[in-house]
Amino acid sequence: MLIMNGRYEDAGHEESGHPERPDRITAAMAGVDDLHLGDDLKVVPAYAATRAELARVHEGTYLDELGAFCYAGGGDLDEDTYATYDSWTIAQYAAGGGLAVINELKRLGDGVGFVATRPPGHHALRDRAMGFCLLNNISIAAASLIEQGERVLIVDWDVHHGNGTQAIFWDKPDVMYVSTHQSPLFPGSGAAFEIGGMSALGKTINIPLPPGATGDVVRRAIDEVATPSIVEFDPTWVLVSAGFDSHRDDPMADLSLTGGDFAALARTVAGFAPGPGRIAMFLEGGYDLAALRHSVASTLGAVLASAYEAESPSSGGPGTEMVQNAQAERLVALRIAQEAASKGDYST
Amino acid sequence: MRTLSTIAVGFDGSPNAKAAVRWAFNLAAPIDAKVVVVHALGMLGRFEGHDAATEIEESVRQLSDDCGLDAARVHFHVANGDACSVLIRMADDPISADLLVVGSRGQGKHPGLLLGSTSLELAEHATIPLVIVPSL
Ligand SMILES: [Zn+2]
Repeated sequence: MLIMNGRYEDAGHEESGHPERPDRITAAMAGVDDLHLGDDLKVVPAYAATRAELARVHEGTYLDELGAFCYAGGGDLDEDTYATYDSWTIAQYAAGGGLAVINELKRLGDGVGFVATRPPGHHALRDRAMGFCLLNNISIAAASLIEQGERVLIVDWDVHHGNGTQAIFWDKPDVMYVSTHQSPLFPGSGAAFEIGGMSALGKTINIPLPPGATGDVVRRAIDEVATPSIVEFDPTWVLVSAGFDSHRDDPMADLSLTGGDFAALARTVAGFAPGPGRIAMFLEGGYDLAALRHSVASTLGAVLASAYEAESPSSGGPGTEMVQNAQAERLVALRIAQEAASKGDYST
Repeated sequence: MRTLSTIAVGFDGSPNAKAAVRWAFNLAAPIDAKVVVVHALGMLGRFEGHDAATEIEESVRQLSDDCGLDAARVHFHVANGDACSVLIRMADDPISADLLVVGSRGQGKHPGLLLGSTSLELAEHATIPLVIVPSL
């Protein structure tokens, strides 16, 4: 069964010509419709996340400033990121949509969650908006789960590194953050040697990929670099930053993934969940509407075992060597950090 | 106090940023310092397909001539990221800047609010001295 948030009024968060636009949610929802789920689809209303729910992740002063900025008419928060008068309310609903889906999965103890909200979240820092993101939706959901004693795996296959999510859980042992992303690319973070803070060494896993990398490379990266650590971490929940700007048709970057690749990735990642009702996919990027629609259907179709036909998986692109280097770089960083920890030197 | 050998100045092509670059060049010229002109390439900048490096070089070369700064002491650095994060990273290898210089952009619309102002964000997070150059 698919558990999804209901659409709320997100049209007020829009800037003329900006690629992060309301049509993206329309396309994602059309992708869900393409699965013809019937009674297998349950829609739960999104709600405005409460101050306490947001404050698990964001600084109070940032929340106050963001609200004030919007109510003063909004504007550009940086060269990429805008806010309007309505954005503060819409961002609270984007975060609350994730919490509503998680709550329903918990209540049912069954199903796969899909959170189709905007603005996206994985670039948003504890105290700052960036990269089209205002509030870090997936982190707000993860923080609510760890407060309930869960161990949360976050897999981020958006083409950009989720710097905000990484920073928020950098030193938190109850969250493992795994990201595949194009490099070099915005936001410039996500090197393989970024492995987590001293209380969470190895619980950040970054696998940078070159332009043109295909699905076979990404799957190998997950299998060989991340899977052993994920198995050891033994997550009780799996959240996915499902950004579809890594699709080959997306105008924002140059990875070469297809719907079939997202389907394969989704099956792999779903396998990390300990049982039903413990996985939710959060929409991040994805700016080509047709690719977004198809990618959503392919991803969800794969984990729901629907008959939806995805594009063929891609293969043969560059990146094998970069993945091997990432693995080597990661192991060196881990060794150096562990040696420093054993000597009581926490400066790294 | 460290000697001032490398000055990093943020540049996005705006008039405020030009004022900051001019100020940095005037500071560098008599003390034999190197100036790194830094441009942050955000998500939209790449999406819109600007040839950032060429655009920056063209507009900055003119300024260095005006300030009498030897062109060999002006370097260009285009990096992926938001302006604030990119400029903060200038304190680290390989640039290892001793001073950050930025224009006072972004405060016009919402005076008093930290959000939307790269210079005020930097003032909170910078690990090296920061100069905010007002545009006149
Ligand atoms: Zn993205």
